[in-house]
Amino acid sequence: MNILFVEDEAKIANFVRAGLKEHGFVVDYCDNGNEGYSRALDNQYDVVVLDIMVPGKDGLSVLKHLRRQGRNVPVILLTARNELDDRLEGLNLGADDYIAKPFFVEELVARIHAVVRRSGGERQNFLSVGPLTLDRITRVVTCHQQAIELTSREFNLLEYLMRSPGRVLTRTQILEHVWGYDFNPNTNVVDVCIQRIRKKIDPIDSACWIESIRGVGYRFRQPDP
Amino acid sequence: MSMHLRSFRLRVALLSTTLAGSALIGFGTVSWLQIYDAKISRLDAELVNELMQISHLPDREQWQIYANSSPNALGTNTKTPTALLVLDANGTILYQFNSLPKDLDVNRLLIQHLQSVPLPPAFTREPPPPADPNPSLEQLPTVHPPIPKFVTEHTAITTWRIGAINFPNVRVAIAVSLQAVNQEMTAIRNIFFILIPGELLLVAGGAWVVSGSALRPIRQLTGVIQQVTVKGLDQRIPSRTTDIEFVELIQVFNQMLERLERSFTQASRFSADAAHELKTPLTILQGELERTLQQAELGSEAQQRLSNLLDEVRRLSSIIRKLLLLSLADAGQMSLCPVDLDLSKLLVEMLEDVDLLAPQLTVQSNIAEELRVQGDRDLLTQVLQNLFSNAIKYNLPDGWIKIHAQQTRTTVFVTITNASQDIPRGDRDRIFDRFHRGDPARTRKVEGIGLGLSLAREIARAHRGNLTLDATPSGQIAFTLTLPIRQQLMQDKFSETL
Repeated sequence: MNILFVEDEAKIANFVRAGLKEHGFVVDYCDNGNEGYSRALDNQYDVVVLDIMVPGKDGLSVLKHLRRQGRNVPVILLTARNELDDRLEGLNLGADDYIAKPFFVEELVARIHAVVRRSGGERQNFLSVGPLTLDRITRVVTCHQQAIELTSREFNLLEYLMRSPGRVLTRTQILEHVWGYDFNPNTNVVDVCIQRIRKKIDPIDSACWIESIRGVGYRFRQPDP
Repeated sequence: MSMHLRSFRLRVALLSTTLAGSALIGFGTVSWLQIYDAKISRLDAELVNELMQISHLPDREQWQIYANSSPNALGTNTKTPTALLVLDANGTILYQFNSLPKDLDVNRLLIQHLQSVPLPPAFTREPPPPADPNPSLEQLPTVHPPIPKFVTEHTAITTWRIGAINFPNVRVAIAVSLQAVNQEMTAIRNIFFILIPGELLLVAGGAWVVSGSALRPIRQLTGVIQQVTVKGLDQRIPSRTTDIEFVELIQVFNQMLERLERSFTQASRFSADAAHELKTPLTILQGELERTLQQAELGSEAQQRLSNLLDEVRRLSSIIRKLLLLSLADAGQMSLCPVDLDLSKLLVEMLEDVDLLAPQLTVQSNIAEELRVQGDRDLLTQVLQNLFSNAIKYNLPDGWIKIHAQQTRTTVFVTITNASQDIPRGDRDRIFDRFHRGDPARTRKVEGIGLGLSLAREIARAHRGNLTLDATPSGQIAFTLTLPIRQQLMQDKFSETL
């Protein structure tokens, strides 16, 4: 998947590019709005990730001009929340999503997948790792073709883990993705939820796909090739 | 304007009335006394006249005639009682007359006063017409004009003005009742008694009206100032339409508004700048930690430490975010990103969290389907999560939580009730204060920085709703969140949503 990333802060750009590459994205990067705009016009990207506060054309202008040129490429805005009504304006201008700084790269990846799926069609609805398959539209999970009943939170958590098999996700990252930014961080809600998911999967496949990483969090086991 | 006693208007009216009242009463008293004195003096002058005449009358018969006509001569009306006493030089009564026979005291008084008048040196009475065409010059010094004496006496029946005079051969005393004079003076006094309160009422009313019109510009000013809220700091009061005396006040007030506006703008710009400045390093920190954590050895001590650091960074950014939200809310600039929200769905998800977080609690829910509001998803989620997490935190062991969510034609109500120890009365009022966390001993184990309810209420109000602590029976706490049903929130500018 090709991604255009426009961000003027070099240090942020570094880890975001590295993180996206680790997830298998091809990242095209530039540090100002003017260049970002011309590249977005010249090339076909799957997603554009735009920081609002960039030199040259700011993120909102780039977005506005792209839409005016009839480009419907999905756009995710990066904002420092409270940049007045930037977000509102961004959504009105046709941004597909926004993500507030500071953010986890894992979260950005999840958002990229979500907007691509929304604009891309059905082939993105299914996510299969190992014996587990998950339908994002019907929200049905199967293990070895056997349906598993999951609650809303359980489904979101499993989806988040399955999206990055082999990567460690901290409790905080999971909490933020599934429960939201302001959920009380000092609860064991993630662990309780994981246990419930395991209880539902274990009778069908006892291979322990969700691994606990002591003192850190969880990861979905990478299936053997 | 309220009319209580501390009112400036009332004070002005009272003060003017008091001043005018004392002036009028003083003036009335003095003029009344002056009039009385003048009347008495005139009476005295006439009495002297009478005394002279009587002393020159030759005999009893003449006195009788005189006595009958004297009231007229005295210029009083015929009904005015008079008394007359004539003695010879030896004190023998030559003639006595009293038109008020009931009053016997007057005769005694007349004698008494005649006796107290000093006797002139004796000399033989000249024949009536002192017709000596050439009076000898030597004789003149020996004639001392007798000095009349006047006094006012009260008897049981009336008041008398008594004039007495001693001639060498005859002593005369006349008493005239002051009844008529007193009646006139009473009439004058009554006129004052009616006029002065009337005047005072006029003065009070006038002062009330004048002070009212003097205060009118102040009232207009108050009206304008009331319009100036945090969000209207750019307003200025026009000074052209006001009286010259108030122009300075308005100018000073406008200057104050200007300073306020400047500092508010600075403060909110600072917030926005701070948001950006703080968030960039936080983003870098968080991103690098996340990346290093992925690269660390699985489950190693280093990875655990990185995970802890990541949590701290997240906590830091959460605090900064809340503080910024509050400061923006104060400046009336909480930015909302309103979308259509299905509150019912949100609530059902949160009920699931209660089951995850506190399975020991009994949960009762009554959530109407399709409760749709327009609001900022993140912020409203934060409010509800705050209420839920409080309901769990401050619950009793094996307690319960009740969720009730309904809508009326205009409003969505979400009430979250839970079993709890009673909140001390003093704490009820402070529960929405920033950084307030209830009894410190009770909540020491409970995490959070205490911004929750204060911020939650600000958010509810920014959505034109509210968050209230309900009155409940002992042993439970209930909060109610009210939000308007999908309105034109979208069309409003964000700055007007407070």
